[in-house]
Amino acid sequence: MSNSPSAPSRRRFLASTAAAAAVTAGGIPLLTACGSDGGGGGGEGGTVAEADLRSILPTYRASDVAVEPDIAGENGASPGYTSFIPTDELGVTVPEPRGSGGEFRVMSPLWGTPPEAGNAYWTAMDEAIGVRINWQTQDGNTYGEKLGAVLAGSDIPDLVCVPGWELQGQIPRAIDSRFADLGPYLSGDKVLDYPNLAAIPTAAWEPAIFGGALRGLPMPAPPIGGVIPFYRQDLFEENGWEVPTDAEEFLSFCRDVTSARNRVWACEDMKWSAFIIHGVLPDKPQYWEEVDGRLVNRFETDAYLEALDWTRKLFDAGVVHPDGVANQGDALVRFTSGESLMFNQGQGVWHSTLTEQRTSNPDFRMNAFDFFGAGGEDPVLYAGNGSSLWTFLNKNLPEDRVREALEIANYCAAPYGTRENLLRTYGVEGVHHTVEGEQRVRTPQGETEVVPDTYVFLASPGHVVAASDVPQLVEDWTGWMRRQMPLVRESIFFGRQIQEPDRFTNLNDQFEDLEDDVVRGRRSLGDMRGAVAEWRRNGGDDLRDWYQRLRDEQS
Amino acid sequence: MARSTAPRPATGRPHPDGPDRSRRLTARARRGPRAPRADRRLPEGGVRLRHRLRRDRALVLMTLPCVALLLVFAYLPIAGNVIAFQYFSPYAGDGFFESMANSAWAGLEQFERMVNDSYFWDALQNTLVFSALQLIFFFPIPIALAILINSILHSKVRAWAQAVLYLPHFFSWVLVITVFQQVLGGAGMVAQTLRENGWDDGFDLMTDPGFFKFLITFQVIWKDAGWGIIVFLAALSTVNQELYESAAVDGAGRWRRVWHVTLPALRPVIALLLVLQVGNMLTVGMEQFMIQRTAVGPGAAEVLDTYVWNTGIENGQFSYAAAIGIVKGVFSLALVLAANRVAHAMGEQGVYRRT
Repeated sequence: MSNSPSAPSRRRFLASTAAAAAVTAGGIPLLTACGSDGGGGGGEGGTVAEADLRSILPTYRASDVAVEPDIAGENGASPGYTSFIPTDELGVTVPEPRGSGGEFRVMSPLWGTPPEAGNAYWTAMDEAIGVRINWQTQDGNTYGEKLGAVLAGSDIPDLVCVPGWELQGQIPRAIDSRFADLGPYLSGDKVLDYPNLAAIPTAAWEPAIFGGALRGLPMPAPPIGGVIPFYRQDLFEENGWEVPTDAEEFLSFCRDVTSARNRVWACEDMKWSAFIIHGVLPDKPQYWEEVDGRLVNRFETDAYLEALDWTRKLFDAGVVHPDGVANQGDALVRFTSGESLMFNQGQGVWHSTLTEQRTSNPDFRMNAFDFFGAGGEDPVLYAGNGSSLWTFLNKNLPEDRVREALEIANYCAAPYGTRENLLRTYGVEGVHHTVEGEQRVRTPQGETEVVPDTYVFLASPGHVVAASDVPQLVEDWTGWMRRQMPLVRESIFFGRQIQEPDRFTNLNDQFEDLEDDVVRGRRSLGDMRGAVAEWRRNGGDDLRDWYQRLRDEQS
Repeated sequence: MARSTAPRPATGRPHPDGPDRSRRLTARARRGPRAPRADRRLPEGGVRLRHRLRRDRALVLMTLPCVALLLVFAYLPIAGNVIAFQYFSPYAGDGFFESMANSAWAGLEQFERMVNDSYFWDALQNTLVFSALQLIFFFPIPIALAILINSILHSKVRAWAQAVLYLPHFFSWVLVITVFQQVLGGAGMVAQTLRENGWDDGFDLMTDPGFFKFLITFQVIWKDAGWGIIVFLAALSTVNQELYESAAVDGAGRWRRVWHVTLPALRPVIALLLVLQVGNMLTVGMEQFMIQRTAVGPGAAEVLDTYVWNTGIENGQFSYAAAIGIVKGVFSLALVLAANRVAHAMGEQGVYRRT
């Protein structure tokens, strides 16, 4: 199940862990377009005035137990922790269980093999929180399909996780109509009842506002890192290779290092990196830029076509691993086995891969390479939202159950350097991990029960890079972030959820398939241009007008 | 899938609830010694039905669970097809029925859209091409295999051969396609062997959209041909062995015995499965195509079922997907009826026969 190749790229791509926001300065969104209020009619998108926004957002209060980072978060990069904190020096934010034993049905994505129900880790977490969670995990790679079906039905679990990349089709509408407004419990100073939630950066709460109400419990994300281009540092050093520094050079480098006869290919599908290298706008709803006073959509930009053309050249040159071309198997496995030398993946794999390889392949090293530009231009990294995955509460929960559910979130959001955080990330000492010298080492039981992420999705603290077991990772990762931060830009509708009216819901559906066709040489760039022209006729131009009005109201 | 359902072989035995049996059942069920013959002469239909129900009580009870399953999972959902005539939004109310009540009516607009939707026609064309290829290339193989297996006399060898042939049916599509990728893919066994022998142009059958229709037929054969022989083996087991002996005595060789004894015995089963297969022409499976969709592109791999899934579940266009589903259902029913007629014309039982 975990390696199911059927998942469309983006899902597995952005999948996983430990996201979270470094506080991005400024850029507070002025409006949160709300769609219809749960009805089936077409919402025309209202705005939330800045004053309203302020009254909706929870007050930020830094945690008084948080530990000073070893590497400060410069330029908005996440702070890093390399040093080991002994168990008896950990802070405490939830001294005793605050739940009252209620049972909650939780639907969440899971990447990997689901641990058995009632396992020691889940039990320990539940006991520490004071609840009983009935996990209904679904394969993360195909989570969107399950989500669509569950939300369309009437039997909705108490808590439901929704990743941002699944906000397709009717799902945003479902969020408005099926889930509770948490404003009465969290807005303003009310959040101070839950100190760990109050310490979640404001940037992470902003995108959790759906339909004009605070509905989501955020899993904070770093400003960049949805796509990290990894390379096999050990193999590069062994062969004396340098990482290419522009798009053209990358192509010729890939040709040089590919040796199909020896089962070595330069890379996997690099489409997502290509978008950054060519400065392509991000996904809906942030897919607009203003050129000469007119909004231009991502699909209409030259950069979009150039990125696809560049990726197509990679496929055409035969430097992409054939299993990647066929979209079968697991790219990560090919990368660790040395069959492909570079690939792009969500940040979550970095830490887990390094620890996993430590025993079987002690020389293994992976690192992220700096994004380079094309045609003499700088690459552009559009800032991601402060959170990209949220957990929602069923709107039928009574008040006391909502408060109990918020206790779960409060526990899960305990910052690094606390007992609660250690339990969530490493499980029970002696069962899920052991302390050896200045390292916490996971036991096999820890690998099977704690490593497949679950509780982290129910809310988590602001993003940090913490790995006392692999300090090199902390330096590599935070260093990469610091170097990329100057390239980060915010798109014009940054930081907010926008509910497009019903008639536009399926306007963009064909593009992802078409992208895959174009890069694999089955369709031409001309076909793509044709599809864009059709897109404009079928509503793209109307959509532009709609966003233009939104923008006018904003300024 | 039709292949995996094993209909009861037409053995020509008399129907089990003959007069003797029914009398025994009713006698047991009754308290008083009423004469069973009298029931049959009662003129009103209602009474007759009631008495027949009482007579066949055990049989009726046995079918009830299946009827309940059918009602809940097959007949009840038919009512949901109403949304094909709406602009249905599941979020228009709490629960399905309230949502349905609150959704606006669309008339036949979803069907009009379908007629003008080139993606739909592409998916339909792919589906029919794949089905036709499977009918031609897949269908005869289990028959041939069954005859082959049947000719093995050593029972252990035979059981072993059967087990080997059945096994792939129990593999998931993910596994089957992974095996194919490992052999026929661009980094697979064949490609690497060719490279080692100086053929550096690459070999990749897994990403060729033109070859895809043959590839998937090949995959289906590999996975399910062995499973398909079960029905035919059952039919073969009822053939009277004396027929072979007499044929042999009359001087018939191996091939003549197959042609004149074996194949006629299989004929009713072949006709039945053919009818079912034709009725299922618009259903060629899903997972197999979902997994290989990116490899060859939706142009080559989209079939009706995946299209319904993608538009309905993935993209949330429930009404449109339901409309396609209705058309598919009606068309499939017409196909079954037509194929059944053809079977009757050929003197076979087919799926059912009006008595």
